[in-house]
Amino acid sequence: MKITALLVLKAAPETTDPVILANASDVSHFGYFQRSSVKEFVVFVGRTVASRTPPSQRQSVQHEEYKVHAYNRNGLCAVGFMDDHYPVRSAFSLLNQVLDEYNKSFGETWRSAKEDSSQTWPYLAEALTKFQDPAEADKLLKIQRELDETKIILHKTIDSVLARGEKLDSLVEKSSDLSMASQMFYKQAKKTNSCCTIL
Amino acid sequence: MQARHGHSSYRDRTDEFFGVVETLRRSIAPAAANNVPYGGGRREDPRSTAVMQSEFNKRASVIGLAIHQTSQKLSKLAQLAKRSSVFDDPTREIGELTAVIKQEISGLNTALLDLQAVRNSHNDERNISRDTTTHSATVVDDLKNRLMDTTKEFKDVLTLRTENMKIHENRRQRFTNNPSKESTNPFVRQRPLASKPAPSQPAPLPWANSSSSSSSQLVPRRQGEAESSPLLQQSQQQQQQQMVPLQDTYMESRAEALHNVESTIHELSNIFTQLATMVSQQGEIAIRIDQNMEDTLANVEGAQSQLARYLNSISSNRWLMIKIFFVLIAFLMVFLFFVA
Repeated sequence: MKITALLVLKAAPETTDPVILANASDVSHFGYFQRSSVKEFVVFVGRTVASRTPPSQRQSVQHEEYKVHAYNRNGLCAVGFMDDHYPVRSAFSLLNQVLDEYNKSFGETWRSAKEDSSQTWPYLAEALTKFQDPAEADKLLKIQRELDETKIILHKTIDSVLARGEKLDSLVEKSSDLSMASQMFYKQAKKTNSCCTIL
Repeated sequence: MQARHGHSSYRDRTDEFFGVVETLRRSIAPAAANNVPYGGGRREDPRSTAVMQSEFNKRASVIGLAIHQTSQKLSKLAQLAKRSSVFDDPTREIGELTAVIKQEISGLNTALLDLQAVRNSHNDERNISRDTTTHSATVVDDLKNRLMDTTKEFKDVLTLRTENMKIHENRRQRFTNNPSKESTNPFVRQRPLASKPAPSQPAPLPWANSSSSSSSQLVPRRQGEAESSPLLQQSQQQQQQQMVPLQDTYMESRAEALHNVESTIHELSNIFTQLATMVSQQGEIAIRIDQNMEDTLANVEGAQSQLARYLNSISSNRWLMIKIFFVLIAFLMVFLFFVA
């Protein structure tokens, strides 16, 4: 479950190409010579998909072995390249977060951008590494996972409590036997003491 | 009398209507002058009253007939909705029929309201008998009830239709598992959409239809509609049709995940209560064990004291035993002496 790249673009009106505002890609699993071509491919496909996503819409396109998810919100478009296993929902919540973060850090300055910005945005790069695990991006997934673990732990707890119950039962048996025996002992002792003066 | 009239008014009224028409023809000259709508001045002319009343009856009969026709169409729609199978989906006809029925119902509503206004203005301005008032009131109420029944049936049919659509979509999703391929299709030209009155409407694909015709509470549909309304171009509309199912899927998957989380939490709460019950029961057992042990301790201590006393008495008795022994030996000596 991998994210290969995350892009933030300014989705211009349909005629012009979208402008890239931020780009982060993880091409470490390609060979050294393929890396630049993969980056180009990412840029190009990202532009195409962003230009074809209408505003306030989400879209997922299958391209070769990648799923490209795009979310266009008021002209600011976030595009993510993920493989097939990455759950779609986490992908879109991740894109949501990226857009929110971008709005927070850059405000409205991106609207005036006319050409691809070349500065990297560190948040995007660390987001890329952090969200390789879809549970991080999607709180629902995380909660579901934790709940499942808790449920397993609780099942084990219930089993051990049942075992404890059994042991307590045997203990209560033994203790009642013990108290019976001690009572007999006391009676016997009293009896030997009562008739004294033998011989 | 009124119930009978109401039940088959569209038939009975025709005779009445003919009679009224003849009356009108006879009194066509003064009636034309009197046909100033519903209120003129105070006209004591009984014929004008009759004219107004016949006007009322005419309209009522027209409305009744229209209601009957609408309910016939509705039964046809219900049949269509029931019989729709996965592959033979008369979506467009159902949609058109739905639209027609909706328009008819709203038209009937307005006509009925007009009729009621007419009647009220009659009652306010004219000197008519109590019977006529009750008659017209009953007629209006009856028509209103029938319209309400028709509307209710209409709603039931729509719900039935939505459920069918949902079942179909589930089946379709199970067998053809490629929802993402749809997103590339917006770039392909599709069947142009017919005229679509606003909410539930025919669309090229059942996907979109399922999202648009579900008359309800899905937030994404409202989102999709609100976004599609400003768009005017055909191709963009079609793209919207594709976007709406994706929004739906996204939102539906989120809703489903939330449901899962909720049910997991319920199960967890059950487990916790069971755990608490078991632990409290075992606590009681532990208390019993404790009591048993205390009893044992008390018994053993008592027995120990008894034995200690016994030991004391036995050890102190020995001195007495020596005395007894001496006495016995003395007797033996005496015996020996007597024998020997």
